[in-house]
Amino acid sequence: MTPTAPSPRTLRTGLWLSFVFMLMALAVFAVSLKNRQPHRDGTLIQVTASGCEPARLEVPAGQQTFTIVNRSDRAIEWEIIDGVMVLAERENITPGLQQPLTVRLKPGDYAMTCGLLSNPRGTLHVTPGEAAAVPETLAATAFVGPLAEYRVYTTLQMRKLQRHIEALHQAVVIGDLVAAQNAWREARRIDQHLAVPIGLFSDLDQHLNARADDFARRDQDPEFTGFHRLANALFVTRSTADLQPMADQLVRDIKALETRLADAAIPPALLASGSARILQAWHDRQTSRDALTPQALDDLKGLTEGVAKIVMLLDPLLQQQAPDTARSLNAALATLQQDLVEASAGSADRHVLEDSAALAGELSSINHALGLSG
Amino acid sequence: MNLRNTLPALGALALMTFQLPAQAAVSPDALVGPVAEYKLYVLDNLEDLVSHTEAFTAAIRAGDVDKARALYAPTRVYYERIEPIAELFADLDARIDAREDDYEHGVKDPDFTGFHRLEYALFHDHSTKGMNGYAQGLMDNINTLDSRVQDLTFPPKTVVGGAAALMEEVAATKVSGEEDRYSRTDLWDFQANVDGAREIFSLFRPLAEQEDADTVQRIQQNFDHVEAILAEYRVDPQHPEKGFDAYDEVSDTHRRALVGPVTVLAEDLSTLRGLLGLN
Repeated sequence: MTPTAPSPRTLRTGLWLSFVFMLMALAVFAVSLKNRQPHRDGTLIQVTASGCEPARLEVPAGQQTFTIVNRSDRAIEWEIIDGVMVLAERENITPGLQQPLTVRLKPGDYAMTCGLLSNPRGTLHVTPGEAAAVPETLAATAFVGPLAEYRVYTTLQMRKLQRHIEALHQAVVIGDLVAAQNAWREARRIDQHLAVPIGLFSDLDQHLNARADDFARRDQDPEFTGFHRLANALFVTRSTADLQPMADQLVRDIKALETRLADAAIPPALLASGSARILQAWHDRQTSRDALTPQALDDLKGLTEGVAKIVMLLDPLLQQQAPDTARSLNAALATLQQDLVEASAGSADRHVLEDSAALAGELSSINHALGLSG
Repeated sequence: MNLRNTLPALGALALMTFQLPAQAAVSPDALVGPVAEYKLYVLDNLEDLVSHTEAFTAAIRAGDVDKARALYAPTRVYYERIEPIAELFADLDARIDAREDDYEHGVKDPDFTGFHRLEYALFHDHSTKGMNGYAQGLMDNINTLDSRVQDLTFPPKTVVGGAAALMEEVAATKVSGEEDRYSRTDLWDFQANVDGAREIFSLFRPLAEQEDADTVQRIQQNFDHVEAILAEYRVDPQHPEKGFDAYDEVSDTHRRALVGPVTVLAEDLSTLRGLLGLN
């Protein structure tokens, strides 16, 4: 059977269709060409031998592209500077050539470096623009910086803790009560700085921080170990006798803590919720008592120092997402820090008690503001 | 489904395949550890930078030209390794590491301070005369840098981008020999920039490898290649602390041979940010 020739009508339709496809392909090609022309995008800045032209720029907030043209006779760099920090830079622009720089800018005033360091700096004024009213949702990578910095903090604190625990162990072994008391205080302060991550490991938390009340036979219970067990001996009985097994146990627990912390991934939501929890726990323990013991006050100082680090890490994100929440959080922290300076143990001063609960309350509201659940 | 509906759907699918940026499979959580490790690396180097600067500036104040000359390059190493972070502070970087060409009046400019001002005194004038103020200023600025970095939350983009930035720095100022024009200790800085870039690369390598094993392999080879050339100019390969020959002694063939791998390294390393989902 011979194939039948297509009818002229089918041919015409086919031709017409291929013509349409070709047009579409050309259009796609044209669009792609357009996207590939980065030159002279956005705002044009010329850097001459004596400075930037124009020397003053104004752009709206958001993603901005600058095209920097080097009109001087030496390779230059161009930077946007926020205070003393370089916010964005384009280095090694060859004389006669141009380079683009794209950066996301928040409203405010910035400086521009313009070639020679002895040249006058330009100014860059970023206006709020239209989109600035609605905060953008945080990028998935927004917490990488704060979490990494928190890991650096816990690593460095852990190193200090190990030094103090070794000193404590040594003092117990040689029976030096004063040295043991001092080392205990130093170690306990760091243990409180690390209360949030230690809370991740309930077994170690119990070994290190449980109190006599938590055990059936109270301070006679063989399971009772850690900081409070040692404190009973060092500050109440005022003796290092028979303490070495406890000190050995503490060294082992701190070693285990170091290993686990090195591998622990702390979820971003835990920074705030964990801080709220430890402050609330301290508060709840103290409300039933008539006066603060020196130890309770020292513990709160340590906890507050650890929480202050977390607040500092979350603050830039919070400023962006919920400036009002950031303000009241910082105010609650400042009040507690101030009252801690003035507080003295044994007095009936209840300010730090209220302050700790207030800060815990502020902390429990910020995960929502940061779009985190937990 | 008939053909008329299927074709455009297939076309759309094909277009999407080509036009969507590759979705980074690296989870942001995985970046936390390497960024933290990098800060610890920078803090270690800062500690060394502070102690070496103390010895270097003490030698200048004591008027010991020979000792100060010997300490110049080994001190700078710690600054050059951590440049991606040190450069974030525009004011300090200018006071610590600017070159005379950054100023209209060159060496005579009263604002020209830091390592290279001292280099000019030690290696051009062979003297420490009038340098006490500059030495003290350098020490103060290094101490300020140290305390600022302690408090700094490292921006992940800067950390990952730092590897490429260091190699661009090498390409722009080290191969040409303009960095240490009086002391001719450029190779010390060169190696330090490579060390700093390699540290960043090593920390993120396991993550980058999952995304683009070929590029990672090429980066590794080019690092090895560059370091092999550098190694030929070590004063004593058994004792790396003795450093390098003067840059004048590097042959033109080797200078040219360095340009290629350094440029490719800078380009390849600049893809790291995208591979790790940080663009």
